[in-house]
Amino acid sequence: MYRGRRSVVNPYSYRIKRALMKAVIYGVMTAATIPLIMMYLWLFMQSISDRVLVGFIPTNFSIRGWRFLWQEIKFGEVTIPMIWPIALNSLIIAGGVTVFEVSIALLAGYALSRIEFPLRDKMLLLIIALHAFPGITLLIATFYLLHLMGLINTLFGVIIAKAAFEIPMAAWLIKGFFDAIPWDVEASALVDGCSRLQAWRKVILPLVKPGIAAVSIFAFLAGWNEFIFAYTFLFDPNLFPLSVHVLNLIGEFRYVDYSLLAATALFYCIPPLVFFVLTQKYLMQVQVGGVKGA
Amino acid sequence: MVSVRLVDLCKYFGSVKAVDGLNLEIKDGEFVVLLGPSGCGKTTTLFCIAGIYKPTKGRIYFDEIDVTDWPPKDRNIGMVFQSYALYPHMTVFDNIAFPLKLKKLPKQEIARRVREVAKMLQIDHLLDRYPAQLSGGQQQRVALARALVKQPDVFLLDEPLSNLDAKLRILMRAELKRLQKELKITTVYVTHDQAEAMTLADRIAVMNEGKLQQYGPPDEIYNRPANVFVAGFIGAPPMNLLDCSLVERDGRYVLDFTSFEIELPRELGEVVRSRASSSEVVFGVRPEDLKISKGPATSAIKGVVYVTEPLGREVIVNVRIGDHIIKVIESASTASEIAAGQEVWVVLDFNRVHIFDRKTGKLVV
Amino acid sequence: MSKRKFFFTLPAQLPLMSSRRLHRSRSKLSPRARKFLLLTIFLGPCIVMIALFWFGPVFLTVFLSFTDMSIRRAEWHWVGLENYFNIGKHPFTMKVVVNTAIYVSCTLLWNVFVGLLLALLTYYMDERSALFYRALWLLPRSSPPVVYGLLWLWVLDPTEYGLLNQFVLALGLSDKPINWLMEYPMLFIILINGFVGCSFGMIVFSSALKSIPRDYIIAARVDGASEWRIIKDIILPLLKWPLMFVTAWQTLSLLASYEYILIVTNGGPFYATEVWSLFAYHQAFEHLELGFGAALAMVLVIVSIICVVAYMKVFKFRRMISPAKIEIA
Repeated sequence: MYRGRRSVVNPYSYRIKRALMKAVIYGVMTAATIPLIMMYLWLFMQSISDRVLVGFIPTNFSIRGWRFLWQEIKFGEVTIPMIWPIALNSLIIAGGVTVFEVSIALLAGYALSRIEFPLRDKMLLLIIALHAFPGITLLIATFYLLHLMGLINTLFGVIIAKAAFEIPMAAWLIKGFFDAIPWDVEASALVDGCSRLQAWRKVILPLVKPGIAAVSIFAFLAGWNEFIFAYTFLFDPNLFPLSVHVLNLIGEFRYVDYSLLAATALFYCIPPLVFFVLTQKYLMQVQVGGVKGA
Repeated sequence: MVSVRLVDLCKYFGSVKAVDGLNLEIKDGEFVVLLGPSGCGKTTTLFCIAGIYKPTKGRIYFDEIDVTDWPPKDRNIGMVFQSYALYPHMTVFDNIAFPLKLKKLPKQEIARRVREVAKMLQIDHLLDRYPAQLSGGQQQRVALARALVKQPDVFLLDEPLSNLDAKLRILMRAELKRLQKELKITTVYVTHDQAEAMTLADRIAVMNEGKLQQYGPPDEIYNRPANVFVAGFIGAPPMNLLDCSLVERDGRYVLDFTSFEIELPRELGEVVRSRASSSEVVFGVRPEDLKISKGPATSAIKGVVYVTEPLGREVIVNVRIGDHIIKVIESASTASEIAAGQEVWVVLDFNRVHIFDRKTGKLVV
Repeated sequence: MSKRKFFFTLPAQLPLMSSRRLHRSRSKLSPRARKFLLLTIFLGPCIVMIALFWFGPVFLTVFLSFTDMSIRRAEWHWVGLENYFNIGKHPFTMKVVVNTAIYVSCTLLWNVFVGLLLALLTYYMDERSALFYRALWLLPRSSPPVVYGLLWLWVLDPTEYGLLNQFVLALGLSDKPINWLMEYPMLFIILINGFVGCSFGMIVFSSALKSIPRDYIIAARVDGASEWRIIKDIILPLLKWPLMFVTAWQTLSLLASYEYILIVTNGGPFYATEVWSLFAYHQAFEHLELGFGAALAMVLVIVSIICVVAYMKVFKFRRMISPAKIEIA
């Protein structure tokens, strides 16, 4: 591409221009990101102090906000129940969604990636279509369906409905992981004496372990963060997970005890934040994978 | 050990006919090489024998048993893949032991047989490693060990040497042959490398576009190519193949190349005329069957040296005759006196000339 | 090569190779039966779940929309198209349609524009900082919606302790705290969704940018093109498909989603942020009219189906499908 021009730019002014551009880029980005950082910083600061100034400066350090961890809290006539059974409900939902979603998606993803069958391409198109289709529009009918199945107001109902809505995406993601395994390895397992089922279990599954881990984390967080299904399908306060619990706190105590609210919210955030920090690079790939076809 | 018989084997991928009506018989203990350019259907054939592909049509017999519908696990085959296809999550020991574990052999028996085969292939010091920690040659031997440890009835190899460097490839070639002869195991070997095919095979099956072109021992494939494709595919540099037509003139037979002519000996001409479907034929002669003469000689054609390609011991001399370039292999000493632009005579030996029917491509004589 | 002797040492006797004959096949099933069994095991659960929880609800939505089903009453009747006529008659329908249009179009614009901006900015950063900033912008997507909603409720707190009010008061822009969600409800609903939504575009655009060969850009720089021209003439044209994809994808998800609105304003104040999907939700679960809610949801379902079919055509998803290479069961 060099066209024999004698000097493209004065190297000195060029360097200044580059530095300036860099400064602008980082400046704009940081300015745009500050509100975001402040929001999350506030959550932490508020949870360990009575009052927070200018966004993130804590005053009067106190762990009063965290007292929900070891006691019931009474505000007049209202009692905030112990957090642990509620956390357990969240854990059951998240764990159940993970087990259901991942095991079914592992089976289906393998079939979609590796088994030839009639209507296979139609099935793949259906999975992509369902992945694009906003399942939330079916919420009202799902409510009725769970009612018909006798699963309304049960944790299992929330789990199975949530898992079902996530399955197309999970199956598509996992299909991608299976796609990446060389055919020779599987053919080799078959020649060595495996049935298809054995080859899947003994050779293919161990090779997609990282993929399974990623999708499992994804599924767990989807279950843990789930709000609308739990809010709509559960009426018994004993079954409420943390999402519904925090929303109820917002409704009742927003102006009464910000520290308690912030601490509870932060407590609820711990698993997502831990996974986020640990697997941040990974999740990014999965998210990109999830919207493959761009 | 078993013999393998393919009867009218067809494998179509949509409208693409990867293998089309293949009939092949492989004797017990025989080493057969499937040779052909890439995309000729040789690997597809191998995968059909292994049972990984389901043939569109045709049957596969091991001895007299029809195994067409058997899954691979029941066929008792050992297979080495081009990529070796080692299980990356298993150690070398576990890789080799895998087929035996699937047969549910007792632990000691497995350990004994793995060590035995590992020793035989000189990888017994690598048993604790993972495939990623091995060199290409070592991986290849692990793949061989895994294929052999189960005492297969049929041994299938899919371009096993193509990922090795040139020196190692030649070493392994010799070893594979020795191994096969010692174990007397029925072997089907797929390659696109004719040198491999020539050195290894008891019989070579040359394939092109899904069809079997010729099946026979290496020397027969080389000396009596059944058609133009085999003639052009086997041999490096390839056979000189020139279109021409047979003309009968005053009782003499002449091959007319438009820009020059060659007179054929009478008997040869008569055979060609009686067997060829028309006068349109292809004239073929191997470069090593030609000689260069600096002066006129009997059954020699005049030409001009176009370029010479020295190969060390020999030199490929490209001679322009009329509109054609003909390659001749000459010894370096003779060729050293030849320069481009020089006028020379190319001497033919009519006993080593091939003539093909242009319409059918088949060998006439 | 190692120094080890390379040649195989073959023992004189070969105990390895026994001269067994071929053993009988152990599979008693025909290939067809084996394949059917295999597919049942692998695809069966998925197909059951999809049939039950995707196709089932679609048909149930149709069914419910023709009834006067209510959570209040045990008995129900067929009402034909009455629910659909009632959509037209409902006093808030117009308001909801306008809200939905504003919400979807503005959030979409924000998401695509900010997503593109973030992707471009991080594209020009070094790898580590780019990763850091992208991770930060993924935080809202990764945190529970309820917590994210709570953060905004605090930012927009109407008392002097809210973040925004602290700034406004400190800078003297106002002498008393502002009730943001009362004054500018739609604006903040758009921002709240936008801060989550833009990361989708950011990720898609970033991976698209990564796949642009560096040579193009270096060649353009050597030719003396300014960065602005590089973005305008090289990068943006190459981002055409990702841009279309993000727009299409987000249109549908915005049309259907109402989670954050439900948490932050619940449609209020006075239907100011009530969008179609939330309207359907409220009719079904607040006014307990499942039938009417289903009719409203049906509109979204039909729109979604049309959109998805159109996307499948436009984005050529068929290309992502390749045949299986092992054919036996």
